[in-house]
Amino acid sequence: MSPDSTAQSHDVSILAEHLSKLFRIPHERKLTIYEHLVGVLRGSHQSYDEFLALDDVSFSVRRGETFGVIGPNGSGKSTLLKVLAGILYPDNGNSKVQGKIAAFIELGVGFQSDLTAKDNIFLYGAIMGLSKREIKDRYDEILNFSELKRFEHMRLKNFSSGMVVRLAFSTAIQTDPDVLLVDEVLAVGDEYFQKKCMEKINELRDNNKTIVFVSHSLDSVNKLCSRCLLLDKGKIVQIGETSDVIERYHQLTREHT
Amino acid sequence: MWITEYRDLIEILTISDLRIKYQSSVLGFAWSLVNPLFMMLILYVVFSNVFHVSENNFALYILTGITTFRFFSNGTSQGMTSIVLKPGLVNKVFIPRQILVFSSVLSNFISSLLEFCVLFILLIFFGVQLSFTALIFPPVHVMFFLIVYALSLGLSSLYVFYRDLNQIWEVFLQAAFFLSPIVYPITIIPEKYLQYYMLNPVTILMETFRDILIHGISPPPLWFLYLLGSGILLLIVCRFIFNRLERRFAEEV
Repeated sequence: MSPDSTAQSHDVSILAEHLSKLFRIPHERKLTIYEHLVGVLRGSHQSYDEFLALDDVSFSVRRGETFGVIGPNGSGKSTLLKVLAGILYPDNGNSKVQGKIAAFIELGVGFQSDLTAKDNIFLYGAIMGLSKREIKDRYDEILNFSELKRFEHMRLKNFSSGMVVRLAFSTAIQTDPDVLLVDEVLAVGDEYFQKKCMEKINELRDNNKTIVFVSHSLDSVNKLCSRCLLLDKGKIVQIGETSDVIERYHQLTREHT
Repeated sequence: MWITEYRDLIEILTISDLRIKYQSSVLGFAWSLVNPLFMMLILYVVFSNVFHVSENNFALYILTGITTFRFFSNGTSQGMTSIVLKPGLVNKVFIPRQILVFSSVLSNFISSLLEFCVLFILLIFFGVQLSFTALIFPPVHVMFFLIVYALSLGLSSLYVFYRDLNQIWEVFLQAAFFLSPIVYPITIIPEKYLQYYMLNPVTILMETFRDILIHGISPPPLWFLYLLGSGILLLIVCRFIFNRLERRFAEEV
């Protein structure tokens, strides 16, 4: 490796500064103009429960790093990922992500059951940020990886759920992002396919891609991630070496119970 | 600019939309063309007796009106639901959300072009001489697209927060159908109301299409300005609404 590229690999890929996200959960959800009118006429004010999903979260991830995010349910992991992906706007602070992002928050977003596997590969590929040219070039690889070549012209509604997931993952993994945000989606398919997925993720990691990995499976976090972030109630509890953070997480779980 | 950056996605979303629409039945594509023709027939039978029409081609007059109105009503009502009906594309991945509205309106625009093709064929069949003024059709229809897209931007973002807006819009469209010269000749409007009546851009569009396609005359240049102006004004207002509300789409869909 040239000294230049070593220096680059220490570049900051993701920078989050003082991220806060407040969700307002109305006591009485008003979804229609009619309900709003009635509310105004009665003179009642809309009352909210406020819920701070992220509370002053700051961290940075270096280029090429695989970074884990762990924490109990409702600790703000998915919210954090969505803010990084640009899906949710933070109420405070800001985040910068260098390069092309691919967010695997749910696989197969936008799939149309009335269209064939082929059409869906193009549709989903485009949604994940590929150009038509790129999808055409990678089309065979997608079908081979999913092992669904035989069903190329079958409509998706005749697929089993396992087949749908395979098709989705095989397409999504071809997006070739600089930064990959993964939310618990790898726990899909049978064991054999899961192994294939893990290999693919490892391949990306070896290609110096930045990966943010949200998971409940401490085992896979331990295997994949060099550094880790522990969230609880929207706040950072600890950032650091994965083994230390996992240790802290166990401690936290004991405190709660 | 998102239109060029995401052109492949826009194209694929639009084509998928059309595929699903026309694939759902064997006659899918034919139905969408036959539908306005039947509608025209019914309205012609009913209304040609109500108004003693001086218009020569009253059937074609009605059909032009219906075809124009269909793009307005289908475009806006499907554009309105384009965000809410694709929640996954709003809160599970990041794509500029106006793409959903744009591709929805675009697929209706293409359907509308096909319907106009049928209209052209019928015009020729009924012996109307298409004159060179028909060449004005494409730019006018593009201005029409602009108006429908702008309205859809505003409607789709409001619909995320007010889920009864579709009911209200449906009633509005009913009213708009009769407030536009579709089933009656424009001459029945009393002189003193005419200047207000002509403020409706859809009326201007219908009359423009009739002028350039049926009558072979060029409409007043002021009309083009009016269409373009109202399109741009709507776009500015509705984009402002959309951008304000867009920040909370992912929390609400």
